[in-house]
Amino acid sequence: MVRFVFARLLRALITILAVVTFAFVVLRMSGDPAQVMLGPDVPQDAVDAFRNAWGLDQPLWIQYLAYIKSIFTGDFGVSMRDKASALQLVLERVPATLQLTIPALLLKLMIGVPAGVYAALHRQSAIDRGVILLAILGFTLPSFVLGLLLVLVFSVILGVLPSGGQDTWVHGLLPTITMSIGGIGILARFSRSAMIEVMGQPYIRTASAKGLKWSNVVWNHALPNAAVPIITIVGFMVGSLIAGAVVVESIFSWPGIGRLLVVSVSNRDLAVVQCILLMIAATMVLSNLMVDLFYGWLDPRLRHQTAH
Amino acid sequence: MLSINRRGALGLIGAATGSLILPRMTFAQGKRPSVTIAVQKITNNNTLCVWNEQSNVGERVFFPNLWEGLILRDWMGNQGPIAGLATEWKRIDDKTLELKLRQGVKFHNGDELTADDVVFSFSKERVFGDTEPKGGKTIFEDDHKPTTAKELPASVPGIGRRLWPALAGVEAVDKYTVRFHNTTPDVTLEGRLYAYGSQIANRRAWDEAASFTEWARRPVTTGPYMVSEYKPDVSLTLVAFDEYWGGRPPLEEIRFVEVPEVASRVNGLLSGEYDFACDLPPDQIGAVEAASGFEVQGSTILNHRISVFNTQNPVLADPLVRRAMTHAIDRKAIVEALWGGQTVVPPGLQFDIFKTTDMFIEGWQAPEFNPELARDLLKQANYKGDAIPYRLLNNYYTNQTSNGQIMVEMWKQVGLNVEIQMKENWAQIHDPEGIKGVRDWSASANINDPVTPMVTQFGPNGEMQQKKDWTNAEMNDLSVVLETSTDRAARKKAYARILEICEREDPAYQVLHQNAVFTGMKSSLKWKAAPAFAMDFRSNNWTM
Repeated sequence: MVRFVFARLLRALITILAVVTFAFVVLRMSGDPAQVMLGPDVPQDAVDAFRNAWGLDQPLWIQYLAYIKSIFTGDFGVSMRDKASALQLVLERVPATLQLTIPALLLKLMIGVPAGVYAALHRQSAIDRGVILLAILGFTLPSFVLGLLLVLVFSVILGVLPSGGQDTWVHGLLPTITMSIGGIGILARFSRSAMIEVMGQPYIRTASAKGLKWSNVVWNHALPNAAVPIITIVGFMVGSLIAGAVVVESIFSWPGIGRLLVVSVSNRDLAVVQCILLMIAATMVLSNLMVDLFYGWLDPRLRHQTAH
Repeated sequence: MLSINRRGALGLIGAATGSLILPRMTFAQGKRPSVTIAVQKITNNNTLCVWNEQSNVGERVFFPNLWEGLILRDWMGNQGPIAGLATEWKRIDDKTLELKLRQGVKFHNGDELTADDVVFSFSKERVFGDTEPKGGKTIFEDDHKPTTAKELPASVPGIGRRLWPALAGVEAVDKYTVRFHNTTPDVTLEGRLYAYGSQIANRRAWDEAASFTEWARRPVTTGPYMVSEYKPDVSLTLVAFDEYWGGRPPLEEIRFVEVPEVASRVNGLLSGEYDFACDLPPDQIGAVEAASGFEVQGSTILNHRISVFNTQNPVLADPLVRRAMTHAIDRKAIVEALWGGQTVVPPGLQFDIFKTTDMFIEGWQAPEFNPELARDLLKQANYKGDAIPYRLLNNYYTNQTSNGQIMVEMWKQVGLNVEIQMKENWAQIHDPEGIKGVRDWSASANINDPVTPMVTQFGPNGEMQQKKDWTNAEMNDLSVVLETSTDRAARKKAYARILEICEREDPAYQVLHQNAVFTGMKSSLKWKAAPAFAMDFRSNNWTM
């Protein structure tokens, strides 16, 4: 077990380092931050002074080594725009994003999974077809279209909900709904498929033949076995809690990590972009690690394989 | 995460309802209203410093509500100079300008404006860093240094010296009199004083701030509104400064909120959440005007869209090819198609504001649309259809991509083979690697004299020549005349000749159209848009 955890952690570290390196190189190869930050009209003296002040006139490999050294000492650099700690800027935005992504995740789980399970248990019925139709509609509708449609209906036409901003919790309703619709559709489809597959297994027939109550068969035999693929999807959703609101935050002017990332990339605010990517990678890797461990808890066969 | 219980939820609903109702109540009671303005961007650099934030979006939140200079720009008039924090000014000689300060002007912290604040506002500590004026040394610094040093953003001294290349320093003659000393003769000193950047800051507030960023997030100025709260990338709230020398401001609060998506700005306006929605592209004007109770105010601004040539490109080295390119473009068609006729084709790189200093060249026009002439010029140049790269940004300027595609087709009609290369940012546009050809740009008149943009952008120290896109020896000689001559007739003659060189004989650029800005608003508001990004919320431009 220790070797299993150690191997997973090592893989996680390598993944994070790869992400950091890739981001470092791509950001610098795709445009001089001084020119991007200062715009097209500033004099060359100002551009040169900026590059010198931020060490951008150093060879790339020296900049890279300095950066790696600093992140290992917990220093994630300073924002070129705000002259403040990049980590502090990023952490300030995390709560705003989580205010959207966590309720959205809960909505996905509370609606998507039961809908999928219910549809599987009533296969070929009108409800099943309705769930499938809505699920496909949900995850094929891009969030930027859905968001604008919701604003048009609830803000412009009905005038009952605000169209953007973060002033009160009411402002979070439309973005949360926009973010959750696609995920509800995905979870409903996966839950339905997983349940249909499990319900066709011999052990379900055996449990039914033993005379167990139907609810007992579903809750204790079908659902735990159907949970493994669902957990995989939920793992991805948890992993994207930090990064999953980029489009929605832009549409609804929600000041979270997504908007900070967009602004920082377009301004080539290197330290902030790298800090966000590092956090996203770490969240995703950690989420996957937890999913791996959760598999073992859910499925004794995996635990058994792991022991060997 | 928000922690909500039933009582809290009811309270929030009550507060939200109140926030919706209260502004209307204040209208009803005759108190000062507040306005919310949706903008694409509040600032680019997340500060409210006039030197650090030199941008169109900065102009909107700074002028004339927050920052003020000794001389002001007449935002609602002809954009010329009017008295501001100085009531009168006179020339001592070609290099020296003396100004009398308006007495009794208060800063937002209660301090009275004095010569000391003016000297500080043009000091090394505040602007110029370790740079020295062209052709001389800095003077009058020691007696008026701020007591605390701040680390200026690296770009500020260079930007400051672009506007004030030869300013030796400011002398405090007495408490209410200052003299600006230049190292070289300059007839544009008065114009430079109302340009973007030359505004006056309170010295004590600078001294008391712990860092440049802290100061620049809440600068203490003399404007009719003062900073109440600034959340970078989110919102900026200005509140009325009742001790304003120009009278009680008409609004209680101005709140700029950052809404990056244009559709969201329009929706927010139509749903009543915002009073103004800025930066509307021309294709959204119809949507707003079709809604009852809303209108769009638009106007041309002191900025022309241009495209510039790189003469290191072997094809474009021949001025005949560049001339052909300028005559192949039907500018009026572009203005009609992309701007709905809401802007104009200017008479070359000239602005009406130049008329206030008699520097406008009457009769000069942008190159005529003449495909036959263009074909003939290409024939003379023996052009064989070699590809000319066109590095293009995706709508950095309004309608930029569509405009680029239309121009490529127009060039194709006369036989020119121009290839668009989409780029992500300005660094990629200017990347010295590879072959350059044509690129987009804009040119602004920061003062009422053609020294901007002509010398600042195309002169020997302008970006065009610094980036080695183009150069012309005669243009460089004439730039010196425009910058330092005090003979107004000679300066005007030099400008006319510069236009001939840069637009006809050896084209550096071609003018496309004047830029314009469009603001959607509630029709019930009695407010007029200035021909600029700036939004004037002083009492003379707001009627209840």
